[in-house]
Amino acid sequence: MNAETMEILLRFGLAVSIIVLGAFVYWLINQRLLIRARNNVFTLFNKLPNKPVLVYFTTPDCAPCKTVQRPAIDRVSNLLGEKLEVIEIDAYEQPDLAKTWGVMSVPTTFLLDARGEARYVNNGVARVEKLLEQIQTL
Amino acid sequence: MTQILQKVDHSALKTNQLIIISLNVLAFILNLPILAAFVAVVMGIGSALKVPGFGFIYKNFLKPRGWIKPDVLDDNPEPHRFAQFLGFLFMTAGSVALFLGASALGWGLVWLVVALAALNAFGGFCVGCAVYYWFSRFNLPGFSKQPPAGTFPGMKPRVGVSR
Repeated sequence: MNAETMEILLRFGLAVSIIVLGAFVYWLINQRLLIRARNNVFTLFNKLPNKPVLVYFTTPDCAPCKTVQRPAIDRVSNLLGEKLEVIEIDAYEQPDLAKTWGVMSVPTTFLLDARGEARYVNNGVARVEKLLEQIQTL
Repeated sequence: MTQILQKVDHSALKTNQLIIISLNVLAFILNLPILAAFVAVVMGIGSALKVPGFGFIYKNFLKPRGWIKPDVLDDNPEPHRFAQFLGFLFMTAGSVALFLGASALGWGLVWLVVALAALNAFGGFCVGCAVYYWFSRFNLPGFSKQPPAGTFPGMKPRVGVSR
């Protein structure tokens, strides 16, 4: 194998590493949030509601929360009715709860299954389609 | 104030981003600054013609064969053009750095464009568009458009329209 081929292989490896590293960092951040959510699920309720729960962190001055996230959650809630429980948390009113759950920005939504296990976290706006897709797998 | 939105085919934008990502990664792997410069030139031509630089591949090849379906949304094309222009500037700076021998800086800028294009293509968030809307908030001349109703600045609009 000549030096040129070696260099190409090395650079290919480096490119793959950068891409994998970026995806891994994103995955790691989300996993960390999910673990925190799992450990702190009883900070939200004493008894599990036995149905999927959408935990929605927001603040009054969050523009995308008002214009996009809130309507999306309303639509999901209307579609699923009693099959889904939505818990909205104002991160300003309950900063400790936001901190405990590792929320770094709003909107952030968590989806918990019927056993209270956090399965998904969405940093930033989550569209109706995405939320419904995630809820279907719970 | 109500603003008139235009039909923007987001499939053309996404195809453009995916080709930019692919060619830039290929340029890095093969250590071909000329390929990075080519991407910069195409993005520059696209900015001048007010179309996605590699949009012609989508328009003439992928769309007619039905390999990629149109995703036409009511949106402002201007922020996307601005985003491409920003990409062009970064790519040009990166290419110049590479030709001057500043490999780390050059490839760093190229990878920055890759990261921003990936965020747009896979995450639906256009950083350049967000910058455009941010300038618009400060009433900078030439930045007059507002995000479509119900859309966070930089995010892909929600409602699909005519196909």
